[in-house]
Amino acid sequence: MLTLPVRPARIAIAIGLALAIVGLIALVLWAILAAATGSEGTASRIDIPHLLRMTTLQASLTTVLSLTVGMALAWALNRLRFPGRDLLVGLFASAIVTPGMVVAFGLLDIWGRNGWINQASDALLGFPLGNPAFGLSGILLAHVILDGAFAARILLARLDAIPAERLKTGQSLGLTAQQRFAILDWPAMRGTMPGLAAIIFLLAFTSFPIVLLLGGGPGNQTLEVAIYAAVRQDFDLTGAVHLALTQIAVCSGVILIAAALAPIPTSFGASIAPTWRDRPLARVLQTLILLTCSIGFVLPLASVLVDGLGTGMGSLLTQSTFWQAALSSLLIGTASAILTLALALGLALGRAATDHGILRTLLGMPVFAYLAVPAVVLSLGFFLLVRNLGVAPAAAAPFVVILANSLLALPFAIATLGPPLEAIARTRGKLIRSLDLSGWRQFITVEYPLLGKDIGVMLALAFCFSLGDLGVVALFGTQDFQTLPLMMFRALGSYRSNDAAAIAAILLVGTIIAFVGLPRLFSRIANAAR
Amino acid sequence: MVKSTGFVAAVLFGLLATPTLAQDAPVLTIYTYDGFAAEWGPGPALKAGFEAICGGCSVEWIAADSSIGTLRRVQLEGDTTQADLIVGLDTAIAGEARATGLFADHGLDLSGLTLPEAWTDAQFVPFDYAHFAFVYDSDSVATPPKSFEELIALPADFKIAIQDPRSATPGLGLVLWIRAAYGDRAPEIWAGLKPHILTITREWSESYNLFLTGEADMALSYTTSPAYHIIAEDDQTIHAALFDEGHLAQTEVAGILKSSQHQELARQFLAYLSSAEGQKIMPSTNWMMPVTDLGDALDPVFKALPQPSTTLTLTDAEIAANAKAWIDEMLTAVQ
Repeated sequence: MLTLPVRPARIAIAIGLALAIVGLIALVLWAILAAATGSEGTASRIDIPHLLRMTTLQASLTTVLSLTVGMALAWALNRLRFPGRDLLVGLFASAIVTPGMVVAFGLLDIWGRNGWINQASDALLGFPLGNPAFGLSGILLAHVILDGAFAARILLARLDAIPAERLKTGQSLGLTAQQRFAILDWPAMRGTMPGLAAIIFLLAFTSFPIVLLLGGGPGNQTLEVAIYAAVRQDFDLTGAVHLALTQIAVCSGVILIAAALAPIPTSFGASIAPTWRDRPLARVLQTLILLTCSIGFVLPLASVLVDGLGTGMGSLLTQSTFWQAALSSLLIGTASAILTLALALGLALGRAATDHGILRTLLGMPVFAYLAVPAVVLSLGFFLLVRNLGVAPAAAAPFVVILANSLLALPFAIATLGPPLEAIARTRGKLIRSLDLSGWRQFITVEYPLLGKDIGVMLALAFCFSLGDLGVVALFGTQDFQTLPLMMFRALGSYRSNDAAAIAAILLVGTIIAFVGLPRLFSRIANAAR
Repeated sequence: MVKSTGFVAAVLFGLLATPTLAQDAPVLTIYTYDGFAAEWGPGPALKAGFEAICGGCSVEWIAADSSIGTLRRVQLEGDTTQADLIVGLDTAIAGEARATGLFADHGLDLSGLTLPEAWTDAQFVPFDYAHFAFVYDSDSVATPPKSFEELIALPADFKIAIQDPRSATPGLGLVLWIRAAYGDRAPEIWAGLKPHILTITREWSESYNLFLTGEADMALSYTTSPAYHIIAEDDQTIHAALFDEGHLAQTEVAGILKSSQHQELARQFLAYLSSAEGQKIMPSTNWMMPVTDLGDALDPVFKALPQPSTTLTLTDAEIAANAKAWIDEMLTAVQ
């Protein structure tokens, strides 16, 4: 395997970034422990094994369901062409970056006791169908809406990137729908699977507001809730760090498996819109999958739009604070999308440049670090770090938020950019070596043109994550600095649910625009560069 | 690329930099929870009102995500805190806050306040209150329960949404309320409530939204909640269910930090906050009852709100000593 171009600088940058991320997490935990000296720790009252069992079960089910649904949906979307397809793809992708509470309430609008489905069945059949939206089923439903649709978006990008010549060969061989999936689709998706599985598992494992809202009681809680209670209610900082380390340890197991298992994709090339249609039976199945997922996933989001475009919108648009918050959100989203791109390219280019198994695993792990650390611990740790540096928290808040949002988006960015970069390094390595391209020329002439659309998807993801995230601002609190999600939660906390609904709708629209627009834009720019 | 990030940074700085203030004007820095400092909350009007009478000072609100967040922040900052005051703690965490030793005596005469009970606290000054209560919609609930026991006796499809006592103030309030009303029978009451609990949310707003969207028949909130719907939305259907056992009140309080360089100014602020001038602002911004008699200045909607006949109480010391055990008791009972 001497086909990989020698790129020591890329590997060095990736190692540097990985160490910096690990160092930052260590610093955060250290800052909390340092502050904890002196505060007496009360004995933990939490049944950790029970929480771990429940959380692991819930997160595993979420992961399996989300990947299955995501794969089926990506398969259907890849094959079917219809008007409004781009918009639908954008809507699917927007679920994961919309604040979890918004999606959860959208879900209740549809599936809840008083939701559309029960109202419809009450009107048509004379009795309501019941309420599946609470308890473990509710948590899983919400998580699959968030994560399954997201998985579909990422997997669709891989299917869309199957080179045209492979498709032509397959078509001329007359592959059946099953053969086509096994021979062409599955190898293309496989490279992304471990990373996706890890992301979804971690998201579900650390899920907090949704689990509380739909869980129905303490029986379904996660470790993250216990950590929150230790920090905020008991003020037991040492205990909180111990719980956080427990969570990090469990999550690290998952991350390690994901980072070690990720296979190296082997095919990559220019793709075109497919003209190859599956047989009628497969197409019926694809249409059914698409319809079911649209009803299940898109309706809750549609209901958010319907609610938001009602009475609240007019009064919201006249508030100057809304425009300030919107501007802050745009600037922060843009800045963290750019930072995420830099971090993701740094790590993924370095990882793709080496064949060393252990090094590849070690470079893959810090990517997920941020997801494994409880949000309340990060918030507290960043706050203490900033204070220890002698910076006023209010002045540091935007920069901490940008950094935090970038780290949050990083695993998603790597899931998007990693597999194609690996594939390019392996399929074009010989060519690059024989042309004796420098690392920079390699990026500009080979990688960037092929990555254009993926970079667009990644920027959209990172931008929207930042747009929808409450981030770590909790402790930094200043009245002058607020983003749209923060404003939404403040409105909700003061009875102003109309304002909150309007902001939620605006966030959703912004997200969809970003998801539809950015991939197209970057695809066009990258193709123009070629 | 470099240019544009530079631009972003510059705009961020411009947008977020705190305004530089003249050296001679003292700045009163007040930590509070974010809803209080929001533009629709009491913060801006209190700032304007106090700056008009303090003779050249300025008030700066620093908003944390929650009321307990303000306390945790000053605990972390200790003597180096910028805060002169915290506005927005409540009687359930006052005991714990007092025990930190960070708060100074306010030295004000508060005998003229009109709280359900006479106020004797040396460190904390109350600025509004309301009783915890379940709210219901009279369009869908014709006969609301009149006690916890009546609520328990309802069919199991009558659902309530409550808050986690570990993350939300009213959630803790309910634990204390049931304890104050039933003492050692509290676990029994919780076990009876269990089938009716639709879910236990992190924040008040989530429970309240479950109620507003019809997912829950009642949500744990305040006796003053209906006033918002009447005044802001002209909706007369939201009511608080009054319970025969009596209700526990949440009283929101403010206190001066010992480390403050502006002790006298901070005291003046507390005096203003609890005066009729300051109190006029509270009802229609924070949706709670004022602590002084405002006479005709109080919106008639608030005057007409039904009030509980009995106000239950627990002392700071009881709460500080037992809150954790009571929360555990509740979590075990509804597990």
